[in-house]
Amino acid sequence: MPHDLNYYLATLAVYFLIYCVLTLGLNITFGMAGIFDFSYITFMAIGAYFAGVAVLPPSNVPGLQWILGLNLGFPVDLLIGALAAGVFGLLIGLVAIRRIRSDYLAMVLVAVWTITWSVTSTTIGLFNGQQGLIGVPQPFEAQLGVNPNDYVFVFIPIAAAALAILFAVAYCIERSPFGRALRATREDQDVAAAFGKRTVRLRLTAMVVGSVYAGVAGALTIEFLSAMSPNAWAIIETVIIFSALIVGGRGNVFGAVLGALLVRILIIEGTGLLPTLPDHPELIGATRNILIGLLVIVVLYFRPQGVIPERRRRYFESRKPAGDASAEVPKRG
Amino acid sequence: MELFFNSIGFGLVTASILALAAVGLTLQFGMTNYVNFAYGDFMTLGAYLTWTLNVGLGWPFWPALLVGALLMAIPVLLISQFVLEPFTKRSGPTFHILIVTFAVSLILSNLILAIWGGDFQNFNVGEDAPVNIGPFLLSIQQLGIIGLAAVCMVAVHLLLTRTKLGKAMRAISDDKSLAAVTGIPTQRVTTIVWVLSGVLAGLAGGVLALNVSSFDPNVGVTFLFVIFAAVVFGGIGRPYGAMVGALVIGLVVEVSAVFIPSAYKLDVAFLVLVGVLLVRPDGIMSLLARG
Repeated sequence: MPHDLNYYLATLAVYFLIYCVLTLGLNITFGMAGIFDFSYITFMAIGAYFAGVAVLPPSNVPGLQWILGLNLGFPVDLLIGALAAGVFGLLIGLVAIRRIRSDYLAMVLVAVWTITWSVTSTTIGLFNGQQGLIGVPQPFEAQLGVNPNDYVFVFIPIAAAALAILFAVAYCIERSPFGRALRATREDQDVAAAFGKRTVRLRLTAMVVGSVYAGVAGALTIEFLSAMSPNAWAIIETVIIFSALIVGGRGNVFGAVLGALLVRILIIEGTGLLPTLPDHPELIGATRNILIGLLVIVVLYFRPQGVIPERRRRYFESRKPAGDASAEVPKRG
Repeated sequence: MELFFNSIGFGLVTASILALAAVGLTLQFGMTNYVNFAYGDFMTLGAYLTWTLNVGLGWPFWPALLVGALLMAIPVLLISQFVLEPFTKRSGPTFHILIVTFAVSLILSNLILAIWGGDFQNFNVGEDAPVNIGPFLLSIQQLGIIGLAAVCMVAVHLLLTRTKLGKAMRAISDDKSLAAVTGIPTQRVTTIVWVLSGVLAGLAGGVLALNVSSFDPNVGVTFLFVIFAAVVFGGIGRPYGAMVGALVIGLVVEVSAVFIPSAYKLDVAFLVLVGVLLVRPDGIMSLLARG
C-alpha cells in the first residue's frame, strides 16, 4: 500500500476512535438518561482546552494568551481535560437538571453552548480567543522523535486504549443497576421516583459521566491535531453527534459505535471525496450537513430506534433462576 | 447620564427585535406545544431573502423586508406540513420532534450557506444620521425597527382579541383537545399560525441583521438564546408574556453594557434565563396568574 493511503486510513481510524468516545458519552446522557444535552459539544471543547493548557507552557509570545500553562505530560493532561469537562457538566447539571420540562432544559443547554462559545471566542486571555490554541505538543512527540507524517501510527494505540477503557465502562454501565435506573428515569421520572430511585441524582450523574466522555474526546482531539478553536465546536457539531447516535441506535453501546462509523466515516469522509467547485469551497461541507439532517429525519420517521435497537429487557429475563423458579427460567439461562 | 439614556434607547431597539421574534416563537409553541429549534435559522433565512431583494434587486430596505418576510411563508409551510406534521400526527415520543427541528436547523443553515456563502454581508440602506428623540439618540433605521415592532404588536393584539382566528388560537393554546371538540379547525389554525410565526421570524431576522449592520449565516442562531430568555421570562406559549419578556430582556441587555464590556452584554440574558428557571419555571408572568 502506498504511504499516502496508509496515512489517510490511519488518520481516519483516529477520527473514528475519537468519535466513538463522543457517541458513547452522549449515549449515556441522552441515550440512557434521556437528557437533551444540546450543549454536548461544549464539554468536548472544555476537555480540549483544558488538556491543551495543561500541556502548553505559559504563553510568552505577545498576542497569544491562555490561562494556566502547566507544561505537563501526556496522561495527566487528558485527565485534567476529562476532570474539567466533568466539573463543568456538574455545574451545568446542578442548575439545569431539576424538575423542569425537558424542552426548557434543552433551551437552557442551547444557551449554555452559546454563552461558552461567545465568551471563549471574545476573551483572548482564556484560550486565545477566536484563533484558539495552536502548537500544542503531541503525546510522546519529543521522546520518540518520529517523523510528523508517521506520528498518526503512534497515536492510534493511545486513542484505541482510551476508547477500549471507555467502551468497557459504558458496556458495564448499560448492564448495571445504575444503567437500568437511568432507563427507568428516562421512560418515566415519576414512576422511577415512586420506586425509590433518586431521579435528580441519577440524571446528574449521567450528565457528569457523559461530559467526562466528551472531555476525553476533546483532549484526544487537541492532542492529535495540536489545535482547537471555536470554529471546531459550532452548535451543529452537537446535532451531528445526536444524528450519529440516533442513526446507529441509542441506548446501546454497539449502536453508538455503529453511528460513529456511519456518520463520521461514511458520510463525512464519503462526501469529502466529492469533487470541489473552485468558486464554492463551502459547498461540500454544506452538502454533507444537509445529508446528515435528511438522514436523521428519515431514520426517525421510518426506524426511530436506529439501526441497532436498544434491547428491551423482559421481566423474567432479568430474574436470576432461584429455588422457586418455574420450569422455563432455567432453560433460558 | 447621557450614556445611560442612550443605552435605554438601544434597549428599546433590541426589545423591538426581540418582541417580533419572541411573539412568533411563542405563538407557534402555543399551537404545537414543542419548541422550534430551527427558529434561529428561520430568522437568518428572512435576513438573506431581504438582502437578496435589497442588494440583489436594488429595492429599498423596508419594502424588501416586508416582501422577504412574506416570502418566508413558503419555506415555513413546506417545513411544517411535510417535515414536522408527519411526526406530530403519529404520537411518538416528544423528543423526536425536538430532534427533527434541530435537524431542520442543520439543513436550513447549510442551505443558506450553500446559496449565499459564508461571507459577511451588509444591507444597502444609504446614509443614516442619528437623530435626537427626547433623551434618546437613535438612527432613522432604529426608529423604523421600533415602529415596525409597535405596529406588529398592536396587530397581534387585535388579532388575538378581535378576530375569530385569534379566539381560536387562544382556545387551542389553552387546551387543544377541548378546542377540537368544540369544532375549531385546529389543523387549519395551526397551519396559519406557522405562517404567521415564519413571517414574524423573517421580520425579526431582517431587522436583527440591519441592527448588527453586517451579518453572516450564524446571525439568527447566536441570537436564539436571547429569544428563549424573553419567551421563558414571560412563560412559554403566552404572547403577552413574550412582549413583556422582550422589553425586560432588551433593556437589561443594553443597560448592562454601561457596566460591563459590551461584548458580553448578550450573556446577561443567559443569567436572566437561568434565574427565571430557578425561581419560577413557568415564567414571571405566571405570578400575575394569567390564564
